[in-house]
Amino acid sequence: MNNKKTQFAIEANSLHVDIKNAPILRNLSFQVAEGEIYALLGGNGAGKSTTLKTLLGFNQPSSGKVFIAGQEVYSALDFIRRKTAYLPESATLYPHLSAYENVQYFLSLADIKKSEDELNQAFQRVSLQESAWHRQLQTYSKGMRQKTAIALALLREAPIFLLDEPTSGLDPVAIDEFNQLVRELASSGASILMVTHDVYGACQVADRIGLLRNGELVGEYDAPENGRIDTEQVHAAFAQRKAL
Amino acid sequence: MSSHSFAKVLVVAKDEWRYWLRSKLAISVLVIGLLLTLSAAIVTAVTMMELSHTRASLQDTAEQTFVDQPDRHPHRMVHYGHYAFRVPSPLSTIDPGVDAFTGNSIFLEGHRQNSAMFADQKQGTALTSLGSLSPAFILQVLAPLLLILIAYSSVSRERESQTLSFIVSQGTSIFTLIIGKGVALLCVVGLIMLPVIASSGIAIVQGESIVVVLSFLSAYVLYLLVWSLVVLLVSTAVSKNSESFTALLFVWVLFCIVMPRIASSTASASIVSPGKLETDFAVIAELRKLGDGHNANDPAFSKLKTSLLRQYNVETVEELPINFRGAVARASEAQLTEVLNRFAENSMQEELAQTQVSRNFGWLSPMVAIRSLSMISAGTSIETHHRFMREAEDLRFSFVQSLNQVHIDKLNYADDMNRNANAEAGQKARVSAENWQMIQDFKFQLESASARLHRSMPAFAQLFMWIAIAGSLIRFFGRRAI
Repeated sequence: MNNKKTQFAIEANSLHVDIKNAPILRNLSFQVAEGEIYALLGGNGAGKSTTLKTLLGFNQPSSGKVFIAGQEVYSALDFIRRKTAYLPESATLYPHLSAYENVQYFLSLADIKKSEDELNQAFQRVSLQESAWHRQLQTYSKGMRQKTAIALALLREAPIFLLDEPTSGLDPVAIDEFNQLVRELASSGASILMVTHDVYGACQVADRIGLLRNGELVGEYDAPENGRIDTEQVHAAFAQRKAL
Repeated sequence: MSSHSFAKVLVVAKDEWRYWLRSKLAISVLVIGLLLTLSAAIVTAVTMMELSHTRASLQDTAEQTFVDQPDRHPHRMVHYGHYAFRVPSPLSTIDPGVDAFTGNSIFLEGHRQNSAMFADQKQGTALTSLGSLSPAFILQVLAPLLLILIAYSSVSRERESQTLSFIVSQGTSIFTLIIGKGVALLCVVGLIMLPVIASSGIAIVQGESIVVVLSFLSAYVLYLLVWSLVVLLVSTAVSKNSESFTALLFVWVLFCIVMPRIASSTASASIVSPGKLETDFAVIAELRKLGDGHNANDPAFSKLKTSLLRQYNVETVEELPINFRGAVARASEAQLTEVLNRFAENSMQEELAQTQVSRNFGWLSPMVAIRSLSMISAGTSIETHHRFMREAEDLRFSFVQSLNQVHIDKLNYADDMNRNANAEAGQKARVSAENWQMIQDFKFQLESASARLHRSMPAFAQLFMWIAIAGSLIRFFGRRAI
């Protein structure tokens, strides 16, 4: 059996996932190209987090396949985890460690050696204020913790980002900063899959949106050339689907 | 494990220590654990060394007092008696075992087998009967609690704060994480054991076998490894810190408090042993069937009389070249000792059978396994006490029969019969004090290393079983942990 595909950074083909005999994802297919920002939009229980966990190899599909960087996820878990940067909803790093210590710890686990200058550059790139670098994360806001996690992903040089509700709980300024950072990442070639229930946020940043309901992809919306996806159109579809 | 994975394990272990050092609870628990073990090791070592010195000195004093007695009737010396003291083993500075409960000296006299006296627990207040704070008690009961307090949230806090899935998503296996936390916990074990390792070194200097000391220390490392694995297992299997803490406290109470008591109760219920009073009455009833050794005319000794008269070819006991009263005393002591030994041996076998039942509970509680293993290795188990009782009895029988032999050979029968007539007759019925030199030096020796190691094998098997079970369950729950 050929487990290699090369066309897309992320690809799900006819994906079915059952958890405790209940179908969570049904015939889910989508693709994320290199340098693309794809938002998987859905309400509570739509299957967004399950999709991410399946891409990370935490859930075994009942049928169908998922590919990351051309490799079938379950046949190359180590490879997949080197290529992906996963940011959980609460961007949970260690609160007893500083941003510096957190990043150094995770890089050591990945056996990646980076100089102090490289760490400084990564923190500067995500706009984490210098005064906070050596403070324990328990004093950080959620936005600052996310910046730290993204700095880590940059240092790991992961080309694929999987973001779980990344703007949940952020203030508008932090959301704008985050969106800008995500766009910069994409423009530098990173592929980004974010799952969210924030219609407005998804339309602000995504190149493409997939609407997920009850584990099924019920619609996809592309951004026009040099423009953003129409928020009202997606919102209407989201609200209509929710009402169904 | 590859060097790459091992490096990751060390990174995790180092971070776990950093977490503990920044947590007030963990650092307090570590300091308390270390101070407790250190103080217990020092206090118990000083106490046991003093005891050892005191008992050796008392043994010498008892022997000197005996040989310093003036000329006397030999049977008076039989009743004057002697003492045997059990000098504690070198490792009893860590685990005093049954020593504190069974008594450590015996008064040896003719016609009686006395119980051991001066048990430390019986001399203390009622509170000391709850158990002294020996290093063994700390390692067996309190150290697991310290490990729980330090590490109950090792894995569960990673899951509760979602760092677990984050770490795994970065390419680190959950087992690397668990092993790393286990290594950190083993460093805590090493730290808690440092004072005990130092005490063991002193035990080697005092003459304990190096192999036994290594086996003793390995047993404690294995036991605390079991607890480290149990802590990691529960922390891996449950999803919340609070659940982990509650479950581990329950396990600790079950293994360290409830199970040892169930083991003792089951042992005494399954092997019913008659009480001391009951046994004493049975012994008295048996002894009544024997003759009175103080009465040479007791019909119970008529066979002896006939046999001696025939042997020496004389008509009356007065014509015998030996003292007939001494011969009666010797024969009576031999018969009586046989009865006493039978009862003592029965009682010891019952105690041993009960101990065995209790030790089998090591399959149900690692604390019961280490308790047995520790006492056996330290030479403070019930077997050692029984050996002391047997050796003390051999000493008693030997010195009583030696005095009876002096009675037979060196005291004229007529003088002996006439001893109460007047003061001068009383003086004639004495033998020289030189005869008291026959008392043997009593030195209670440690059991051989091989015997103790052999006896401790089942408890080692029990600990290995616990390690295998906990390790397998960690593998099972680790796979389902994400």
